[in-house]
Amino acid sequence: MNVWLWAATVLLLGLLPCGILCLRAGLWDCLIAFELASLISVLVMLLLAAGLHRPELYDLALASALLSFPGTLIFIRFLEPDHGRA
Amino acid sequence: MAGHDIVISMLLAFGVGIELLCCLGLWAMRRTFDRLHYVGPAVVLGTPALVAAVVIEEGFSSAGAKAFTIAVILLLSGSVVTHATARAIHRASMRSGEDERTR
Repeated sequence: MNVWLWAATVLLLGLLPCGILCLRAGLWDCLIAFELASLISVLVMLLLAAGLHRPELYDLALASALLSFPGTLIFIRFLEPDHGRA
Repeated sequence: MAGHDIVISMLLAFGVGIELLCCLGLWAMRRTFDRLHYVGPAVVLGTPALVAAVVIEEGFSSAGAKAFTIAVILLLSGSVVTHATARAIHRASMRSGEDERTR
């Protein structure tokens, strides 16, 4: 294991507090934990791509970074209390 | 260990440390707005450090350019998403009549 894979493995531990919060906290706290978890997952993919010397994994991280932005905005839109009102 | 490797190791340790501290802060805080504050440093400090390590390793190749693009996307979208989340929580507090200082 090289330093990149160690960093990715340690970074994965950061998903644990986010997961616990998603299970136990309220709706908005879950959304915040989801935002941080999506950021960490992108960074883990980036570190794995560097550590495994697999350039195609950079595309996966790039797609994930691009898609997490509108995905989170859609979550926020649907969770807003006046969603669906004119 | 060459200076190049030392710089990469330091950037990785800094980036991963910031991300983990933000995750622990998110978990330890009790109010929603306090938790929201911990998303900021993860995007603004942790992401550039990790991406800089990748760019130093890969150079300005295709992989380095993709890593740089990821950093730009995350930095731009992070602030927008945090603002949108705070706005939605504020509106939810106003509608429910709850004092948002207790959130």
